Amino acid sequence: MDNKSKKLKAKDFITVGIFAAILFAVEFAFGMLGYIHPFIVASYVIILPLASGIPMMLFYTKVEKFGMITIVSILMAIIMFVGGMGYLGAPLIILSGLAADFIAKSGNYKSSKKTVLSFGVFNLWICANYFPILVTAESYRQDLIDGGYSAEYVNNLFAAINVKTIGILVVLCFVFGCIGAVIGKAVVKKHFEKAGIV
Amino acid sequence: MSIVELENIIFQYKGSKDGSLNNINLNVEKGQTVLLCGASGSGKTSIIRLINGLIPHYYSGELEGEIRVAGHDIKKTELHELAGTVGTVFQNPRSQFFSVDTDGEIVFGPENIGLDPKEIKARLNDIVVEMNLDEILGRSIFDLSGGQKQRIACASVAALLPEIILLDEPSSNLDFDSIELLRGIIMEWKRQGKTIIISEHRLWYLKDAVDRVIYMENGKMAREWTGEEFVALSEDEVKSYKLRPIVLEEELIRDIRGESKASLCSVEDAIELKDFYFSYKKHPYIFLKKHFKESDGDFLNLNIQSLSIPKGKITGLVGPNGTGKSTFLRCLCGLEHDCRGKIISDGKIYKGRDRLKICYMVMQDVNHQLFTDSVKSEVMLSMKDKDEARCDEILESLGLADYKDTHPMALSGGQKQRVAIASAIASDAEILLFDEPTSGLDYSHMEKVSELLQQLASSGASVIVSTHDPELISECCDYVLGLNHGKVVYLKENSKQQRR
Amino acid sequence: MKLDPRTKLFMVFVVSLVAMMSATTPLLWGIRLTITIIPIILLVTEKKYASALRFFLAYAIAFVLAFYFLSEKSEGIISSLLIGYCGIVVQFMPAMITAWYVIRTTKIGEFMSCMQKMHIPDGIAVSLAVVMRFFPTIREEYSSINDAMRMRGVMLGGGNVLRMFEFRMIPLLFSCVNIGEELSAAAITRGLGGDTKRSSVIELKLGFADYLLMTFLTAATVIFVMYKYFL
Repeated sequence: MDNKSKKLKAKDFITVGIFAAILFAVEFAFGMLGYIHPFIVASYVIILPLASGIPMMLFYTKVEKFGMITIVSILMAIIMFVGGMGYLGAPLIILSGLAADFIAKSGNYKSSKKTVLSFGVFNLWICANYFPILVTAESYRQDLIDGGYSAEYVNNLFAAINVKTIGILVVLCFVFGCIGAVIGKAVVKKHFEKAGIV
Repeated sequence: MSIVELENIIFQYKGSKDGSLNNINLNVEKGQTVLLCGASGSGKTSIIRLINGLIPHYYSGELEGEIRVAGHDIKKTELHELAGTVGTVFQNPRSQFFSVDTDGEIVFGPENIGLDPKEIKARLNDIVVEMNLDEILGRSIFDLSGGQKQRIACASVAALLPEIILLDEPSSNLDFDSIELLRGIIMEWKRQGKTIIISEHRLWYLKDAVDRVIYMENGKMAREWTGEEFVALSEDEVKSYKLRPIVLEEELIRDIRGESKASLCSVEDAIELKDFYFSYKKHPYIFLKKHFKESDGDFLNLNIQSLSIPKGKITGLVGPNGTGKSTFLRCLCGLEHDCRGKIISDGKIYKGRDRLKICYMVMQDVNHQLFTDSVKSEVMLSMKDKDEARCDEILESLGLADYKDTHPMALSGGQKQRVAIASAIASDAEILLFDEPTSGLDYSHMEKVSELLQQLASSGASVIVSTHDPELISECCDYVLGLNHGKVVYLKENSKQQRR
Repeated sequence: MKLDPRTKLFMVFVVSLVAMMSATTPLLWGIRLTITIIPIILLVTEKKYASALRFFLAYAIAFVLAFYFLSEKSEGIISSLLIGYCGIVVQFMPAMITAWYVIRTTKIGEFMSCMQKMHIPDGIAVSLAVVMRFFPTIREEYSSINDAMRMRGVMLGGGNVLRMFEFRMIPLLFSCVNIGEELSAAAITRGLGGDTKRSSVIELKLGFADYLLMTFLTAATVIFVMYKYFL
């Protein structure tokens, strides 16, 4: 393809679609664990970045133009929304995707450091899903209890995720995003580069 | 008037020598049907990709020379501009669909170029009639057989009414009957005066269709025949070019279609199979039926009360697509839990999960079966006690020693196949099953697989190979086992076996 | 019954909206249940009896459990696991059923044409269409890989969690990348990505059923919000 052109082409959109589907499949497989215990909901910030590191690093090798990472985040926002995860998080998901895209762009989509940083920021979308728990804390809490959740579960959930811990969660998310990126890059090197795919 | 002109083409893919082209000069007249044949990696596919513009616009590499197709200078033409001029049917029916439903797929092309909906509908109707697609209209792509998918692919290309139609190994995943249908489609296109260029390993179905045959070797056009000359080539000549046969024998065709007379020959030294019943249909809805019996009759996809498989021999498993060949293999090796069949070998009974211990299946798509990052660790993974010396021995015997540290995915199709076979050998399974091992391979790779199967059998393993590949059967199968509707129709010694 | 894809998208929107706000009074529960029942009924009209029944049972069981056996005071591991199950199902199932219904009954062509009507950029529409098309592909590929793992006896990756993950992920990615390459090549040679505006054989038209359903859904949402937050 004509690499000089900055405009996204059909091939790029298809690539984006494929990796968004894979990313969601991975999130979904691990996300289902969350309802076993609220602490697992909080530990998404560790599990998901590590699990999605490999496919996303493979995706980053295919990104050459601005917009691809943003569109992945738009797709994730749509999927999360359709999946009943709510609206409040959606703009934040797209925002973190956009920021990630800018960071990667500043390294021309080639720099390793920028890629790692970019993926760290990209992962903040996971925290975006906690957003409703924070903003609407009191009414949300009462809602859950009225809605049939046990007080124990709700208390645990709020113990794990609240205004005080969110800072820690965001930092963890970013840090494990970077770790996930490093591991992902290693795996991409071990398999895909060795096989001559990228 | 030439509609396709390739002038002094020199091409090499980025980072790979395979499929490079060296000084190609080719003119194709309007309305001609041209066949490109030759070994894998000889450049057949690259020529197809030059004509549809995928080279240089999609697959990058170093390209010199001029390409003109129907007045377009390919180097300067964007891919989507060629959509109404050149159509391509690709090799793999699984991956060339954009839609999930068949109708949507056929109209996808015309919609892309913004045709008037009325015109598109008219084209759809014409094509459905022309290609007899009524029964597969309105279905999900995921429920279709390979042959049906390939017909939809042809239809979706034809809907754009291209003057030039390219087919890149279109028969690789098809059974005999589907290939016949494909041949019908190609003949229809020929009648309509389309220019057709086909790259293919299997030659028999094209013998009446082609006007020109070009033999490719190492990126060069090494020989050229007219259609008549090509059909007149003797069997030995065809073999000397390492091509698959142009003419098939009647008996072989009957065998491969599962149409030989019902008969079971007796087998002296045998592995006994008992009570293999299985069905994919789930009824009623929540309570899935799990225990199948012979009395379920037509409900069953596999219905074998007892069967003797010749021990230490190669048995070819044949029959039309969708008749239960893969189901049989899956049940035999225990991948389908709900099949309660027993395998009796040397007086020992294996059922349930134990079947997985004495069987090993090399799947049709070997890509799913390769997990590690080097050929060596791939083989070691299969060994129960990790024995490096033996691993090297196996790799040596399969000619893979040089690739010990290569990533399996970096190998060519034929080599991957051999890696899969190497891990099968390393697993020490008594019964080795192969699902369509040679359908997409050229003659020399097919020959290699057939030699390997013979080696396996002579070292004592019982080999069952499901295949539509007539050449493979005549090359190596000792017995032919015909299935139809999940039932065994015949088991007979292969008279065409050329080994002895 | 043939619904317009726009109605379906609207339904997805409404159901996720209502699913997000938890129901607290019998009236609100009533609305929520009605909204959950609608996609199940629609599945029945599309002759997808098996999935309709399965969804119905899963939801009904979770619902009954959540209402009669679990309460504010439930404690302990078993009830916390149960809450986990009921929580997922009661909270997310309505949206899941709707999404499933929409994906199962909307053709890619319809979807593309609907996106165009709603002035969504072609690129995003293509990406979303690929996502829809790719879920079944991922499932197919994954199950083949799983079979191969069982065959080779590496289901548990030799007891190594990382390898367990690696053995599933790597072949899946290789397959998806390959399929993706071929898919784009096939799509582009058939004219995807041109500058001409795409046309569509499917003419979208809102019918009586569409208006009825949309009105009903809107009314239900309005009542829900009114009673929950304002009355």
